[in-house]
Amino acid sequence: MPIATLRRLILIGLFLVIGAVLAIVSPTFLKLDNLMTLLQEASQTGIVAIGFTLVLITAGIDMSIGAVIAVTAMVCVNFLSYTHIPAWIFIPLSLGTGCLVGLFNGYFITRFKLPEFIVTLASRGILAGVALLIAVKDADGFISNVYIQDPVYLGFGGTVGPVYIVTIAFVVLAFITQFFLKRTRVGTNIYATGANPTAARLSGINTKHSIYFVYMFSGFCASLAAIFLSARMMTAMPEFGIGSEMDVIAAVVIGGTPFTGGVGDIWGTVIGTLFLALIKNGILKLGISPYIQPIAIGGIIVVVVVIDVWYKAFAEKLAKKAGNRRKRSDEAEVAVAS
Amino acid sequence: MSVELMQSAVEGTVASGRLLECRNITKSYNGPIVLDNVDFSMKRGEIHSLVGENGAGKSTLIKIVTGVTNRNSGDMIFEGKAIGIEHSKVASQELGIAVIYQELSLIHGMTVAQNLFLTKEPRMSALPFIDIRKMNSLAQELIERYGFRLRATDIIDDLSIGQRQTVEILKALNSKASLIIMDEPTSSLTSTESAQLFSIIRRLKDEGIGVLYISHRMEEVYDLSDRVTVLRDGHKVAVLEKEQIHPAEIIRLMIGRNLDERDTLHEMRRNDREVVLDVRNISAEDKFTDISFQLHAGEILGIGGLVGSGRTEVVRALYGIDPLNSGSVVYLGKPWKPHVSGSIRSGFGFVPEERRLQGIMGAISITGNIGITNLDVVRKYGFVSDKKELELARKAIGLLNIKPDDPVVPVGNLSGGNQQKVVVGKWLIRDLKLLIVDEPTVGIDIGAKEEMYQTFERLSAAGVSILLVSSDLPELIGISHRILVLRKGRIIKEFAEGKVTEEDVLRASSGLIEGDGK
Repeated sequence: MPIATLRRLILIGLFLVIGAVLAIVSPTFLKLDNLMTLLQEASQTGIVAIGFTLVLITAGIDMSIGAVIAVTAMVCVNFLSYTHIPAWIFIPLSLGTGCLVGLFNGYFITRFKLPEFIVTLASRGILAGVALLIAVKDADGFISNVYIQDPVYLGFGGTVGPVYIVTIAFVVLAFITQFFLKRTRVGTNIYATGANPTAARLSGINTKHSIYFVYMFSGFCASLAAIFLSARMMTAMPEFGIGSEMDVIAAVVIGGTPFTGGVGDIWGTVIGTLFLALIKNGILKLGISPYIQPIAIGGIIVVVVVIDVWYKAFAEKLAKKAGNRRKRSDEAEVAVAS
Repeated sequence: MSVELMQSAVEGTVASGRLLECRNITKSYNGPIVLDNVDFSMKRGEIHSLVGENGAGKSTLIKIVTGVTNRNSGDMIFEGKAIGIEHSKVASQELGIAVIYQELSLIHGMTVAQNLFLTKEPRMSALPFIDIRKMNSLAQELIERYGFRLRATDIIDDLSIGQRQTVEILKALNSKASLIIMDEPTSSLTSTESAQLFSIIRRLKDEGIGVLYISHRMEEVYDLSDRVTVLRDGHKVAVLEKEQIHPAEIIRLMIGRNLDERDTLHEMRRNDREVVLDVRNISAEDKFTDISFQLHAGEILGIGGLVGSGRTEVVRALYGIDPLNSGSVVYLGKPWKPHVSGSIRSGFGFVPEERRLQGIMGAISITGNIGITNLDVVRKYGFVSDKKELELARKAIGLLNIKPDDPVVPVGNLSGGNQQKVVVGKWLIRDLKLLIVDEPTVGIDIGAKEEMYQTFERLSAAGVSILLVSSDLPELIGISHRILVLRKGRIIKEFAEGKVTEEDVLRASSGLIEGDGK
């Protein structure tokens, strides 16, 4: 069985065990309400994590996602406060915010060959400031809380039956992205760009296009998440999303997409996202201090990565042993023949 | 060349079944001429070997053919099409020239089929989506047509090096290559895998594909080739037809005829002084087996052999970088377990083979580079003393005539030769007993080379023993007092006295002499 599959099954198994324990210990855990809230929170992180996964597959990193959420939310409230443009027009426009940021990141990464981390960290700083700058202010110049009353906009925070719309969006986006990655040339090129950029270029792949694409897509996903977040909160604040990189990176890493590029897929990220949401929900349900959450998440990242590295070394050792055995039998064959 | 002449040349190429025709190719990299008016031609369905010593110009010629670098002058005609001076990698691929690289260029994590069809994935008839089933079946067809033992759905990471190489060859075939270049393809293959590769190469020949084969292994060249082109010092020395190909003849041509002139220099000398290092039957898994030798005070012991014969691995293990599996070492009369910090404390020095990667820290000054291995010397109250460090650097600069003589210059800004002097210099200021040098003069100019040799002579005269690993045969023979030749991780031959020629060493390295080792 391939390592990735085994790893995935173990994670799902662990997910079910933790779920079962929570179901026994906490009477409210299995309530429909709680499960839907869990899924809603997972979806919120998951949408951003899908975009982030593509960036990681190209061996890049996007530190600007949190700030993109903030800026997108601020763009939306500006439309609400200062224009009469209906939501069904300005919401698609706002999604362009993330794409623009991605274009900016992609340009500096490909044109000047700058490290991805530096470029996107700079964008993060710039955007966090821009969010504060463009936030809607009152007469005294203080940032005012804009209450979203537009029914179309609020609709994004709603539910279909018991299921939140954001959850539906997450599932649909996951399917589309997974299909796109595996079944289109652009998707294949993204893997090739991350696995071996030189070989990819020699095969005629424009790796710059791949890089532009993943950062723009990552920005788009973050903007999409911003719409859902503000719609559910019925307001938007310039701090929205700042610092959420932590959860997104955790979800993707737990899902098994490495930082080295060329490997990973959306299903892993979906599982990682759900796993993370379960841990957070569990901490809440068990009545443990919520301050434990970031500590637990950080700890899980370390454990998962250590196990991954350890397992990889173990697998390589096994493969090498098998290779040696073959080599020895080869040499024996030759010795007999001569 | 005029248009008419070029036209007639083109027609001539097509008529004679020529695949590739290179005429008067000249190339220099800012000064020294690497290729001087070299002619080279290949026919369709021919296995043509290109041989020559390191630095003869083989790789430059390949780079020119594949568009990695541009020639200065000369004509190149491929399948009847003239190739302009401005050539590129992508253009050469489109023409049908494929290279099977030593470091393989496949995409990890992908299947064999995905690699074969990268950027050319078959798509569904109505939608722009990849038709995975069709891609796999096309790939499987291709694999079976050549009778390879592979599955289209195998992931590259799960394949052996030999299997990956066959995927590369398939990739070339799938892109309709008519010239396939293989550069030392057997260097990391097992003997069975090599045999399989040879049958594939013969198969390619039958299909009318030209195979340009580069190898240091004479027996392979002898077995496979229809013709052999020999290069020496940037000149084409000979083109041998099938019946003229003989390993000894090829080696003679590679080295040149002026053997007598050089011979006088290469007298081996006996050394009866005390034994500094006594190496007894050391082995390391997959690297070398049963290596034994004694190194005397003031002796320069050369270690020869082809790349991959275990030369570097032996000296790395003795210095303590890589572990030994068995055997023992006695150093200055006491049992010795090699480990790096202990080696340094006990008078070892080590000049690694890849200067830029392993020898220097380019961004750091001469002082810093020298100080870092001499922290025990430059210490004052447990801290690094800038003054002592600077003193040490000045001493090394003076000893070896390092230019510029400013100790604060980053080593990366120095010329190759001066960089190497820094690497050697940091050991000379210590109480040195044994210096290990691996390819000490690669990429440095003649003047610095001479100075390096004089330094080794001086050290030897002062009683310092030197272990010298080198691919540069004149260097190996010229400065060693005694030479061990390694082949496939074992000592195959020792040259301890009398005259030694380059030919002797090369023949031993290629396994053409029955060794007196085991």
